[in-house]
Amino acid sequence: MTLIDCREAVSRMWDYLSRDLDAVDQDEVEVHLGLCRRCCGELEFSRELRAMVAASESERLPPTARNRIRELTQEPPAPGAS
Amino acid sequence: MTERATDSARRPGERYRSLVEPHLDALYGYCVNLCGSRPDAEDLLQDALVRGLRGQDGLRDPAKARSWLFTIVTNAWRDRHRSRGRELDTISMDASAEEDDFSLYETVAVEDPFPYSDELHLDFLRLFRNGDVRRVFAAIAPVHRLPLILTAVHGFSCKEAAAILDVPLGTVLSRLHRGRRQLERGMWDYAVRNRLVEVGDDAD
Repeated sequence: MTLIDCREAVSRMWDYLSRDLDAVDQDEVEVHLGLCRRCCGELEFSRELRAMVAASESERLPPTARNRIRELTQEPPAPGAS
Repeated sequence: MTERATDSARRPGERYRSLVEPHLDALYGYCVNLCGSRPDAEDLLQDALVRGLRGQDGLRDPAKARSWLFTIVTNAWRDRHRSRGRELDTISMDASAEEDDFSLYETVAVEDPFPYSDELHLDFLRLFRNGDVRRVFAAIAPVHRLPLILTAVHGFSCKEAAAILDVPLGTVLSRLHRGRRQLERGMWDYAVRNRLVEVGDDAD
């Protein structure tokens, strides 16, 4: 394992947050974070920013569209009650 | 559509429905992001799901349904682009080199828009509502935006994102990096342009 600088740590930060780094790369980030307050701040910031993007981009499929999609895959509806 | 009642009396439609249902909101969100409008997104989703229904024999491992469905949506979207004479992957990749070095975290620290704050960076983010973030995000070129969407919004690994987009892993990694830089720069520019922050060297 090698010591990485802030620039390198920052470039891995989002992948670190997604747990998408291999074990060595992840350890290197963690060792760096243990030594560097600045990067701990940026980690927190990146986590927030990422969560904001995820929140702003999430959608719910409207019920009408949901029904239409159900019809695409559905056998003819069962005879209705009443 | 083929008539096949093989699957131990389970109708293909039924099997497919149970595969698809848990992912509908996420797929729709992805479609909205791809299309930029909700009616187009519904259209794209419907189109993709019909393709999926026809091709569901291609899904061997039901545990991979999620990435399989995202792949189908991506391909359906790409085909639409092609038929309109626009090719996704040939959009200029040359975001200027200076863009690569922009750091929002550094910029906020240097410009210091909240001199009395002890949570400077988080205060900066709190200026943005969902609609603001969406607008910034929509301005990022699709080639750079899609890897971000797949990883940060939908939780795919970089490797899975590469498979969904059908590009090499290294390409996804570099597009992700650029997408992040564009997002950061976009957030800052948006804040300045809309006067969410006042910065010192304003011209007027």
